[in-house]
Amino acid sequence: MQLEEMKNLWDEMSLKIDSQQKLTNKLIMEMIQQKFSHRFKTLSLYETLGAVICFLAGTFILLNLDKMDTWYLMLCGILSLIILIILPILSLRAIYGLKKLNLSKNSYKETLIEFSKRKNNMMLIQQISVGISIVLMWLVAPVFSKIVNGKDFFMQEHSTGLLLFYAATTIGMIFFARWGYGCYKRITASAENDLKELEV
Amino acid sequence: MSKEEKFIQLIKENEGIIYKITRIYTNNESDLKDLYQEVVYQLWKGYDGFRGEAKVSTWMYRISLNTALFHTKQSKKNGHRVGLDKIVLIQENYDPVLEERLAIMYQHIKALNDLEKGIILLFLEGKKHEEIAEITGITATNVGTRIGRIKQKLKETIKS
Repeated sequence: MQLEEMKNLWDEMSLKIDSQQKLTNKLIMEMIQQKFSHRFKTLSLYETLGAVICFLAGTFILLNLDKMDTWYLMLCGILSLIILIILPILSLRAIYGLKKLNLSKNSYKETLIEFSKRKNNMMLIQQISVGISIVLMWLVAPVFSKIVNGKDFFMQEHSTGLLLFYAATTIGMIFFARWGYGCYKRITASAENDLKELEV
Repeated sequence: MSKEEKFIQLIKENEGIIYKITRIYTNNESDLKDLYQEVVYQLWKGYDGFRGEAKVSTWMYRISLNTALFHTKQSKKNGHRVGLDKIVLIQENYDPVLEERLAIMYQHIKALNDLEKGIILLFLEGKKHEEIAEITGITATNVGTRIGRIKQKLKETIKS
């Protein structure tokens, strides 16, 4: 289909559409009100829920930090606390940044560029989060073991089953992180292409 | 006339524009209705900030295109849908021949990249290069170059 043919067809369609106006005053206002009331549901439910869980776990560790009676348990506790507080903040900030793009002031090109950049940033943070989660899993285990059972994770004997469970979980998470990294590379490559295309 | 009344009038006068944009950026009726609603909402949100520095149509196209672009990319992630079955869109006097030709045209447009989609839509709407430049944020000369490139792409599509 040539561009000129497209133009004629477009004009024909426009005429038809203009002769079939359908929206009523009530419907227009309903659209706005419905969208407004659904706004909060679109606020990244999973990320918000994840952040709340992290903060609760962080608070729990903070309240029990005095139970960490050796330097290495204290180190595990403090590192867990830092990760549980900082990571969700970074993640939520990146998502918030993506959502607050100014759609009414920016030009189309600016929106494309901003979106690609912020998307890359968000993907990077998510990727780092997955990597750190593997470390976090090993940091949290001794901390919770001490808080809940009062036992030193590093000094006690572990059953083979438990060790196997830890090993399997770690391997699973590494595979998950690798898969996530693949997705991350694909998405950011596509965003980079979009940006290059804009520069031409 | 109140703010609501002015806004309603504006939307009614331009509902065809919103429909055409949303159709380009969506692949089914449900997504189209959702995007249509999102565009109306974003226009309402931006309505207070519109002080007439640009033409109403330029302002509308800018917000509608930005919303379409953003919403489409975002919805891939969120998968969020707001059903609004009451939006009945342009189904009267159904002409199968015209619809088939339109489907082919939309197929060609959807195959273009995001920036080209926006440019071609504005070109088909009869906008001058300067106005396309103002809405998209690229220079008028670049608009001309890109339209030439789109023509070339379309020719290649026909050949293949």
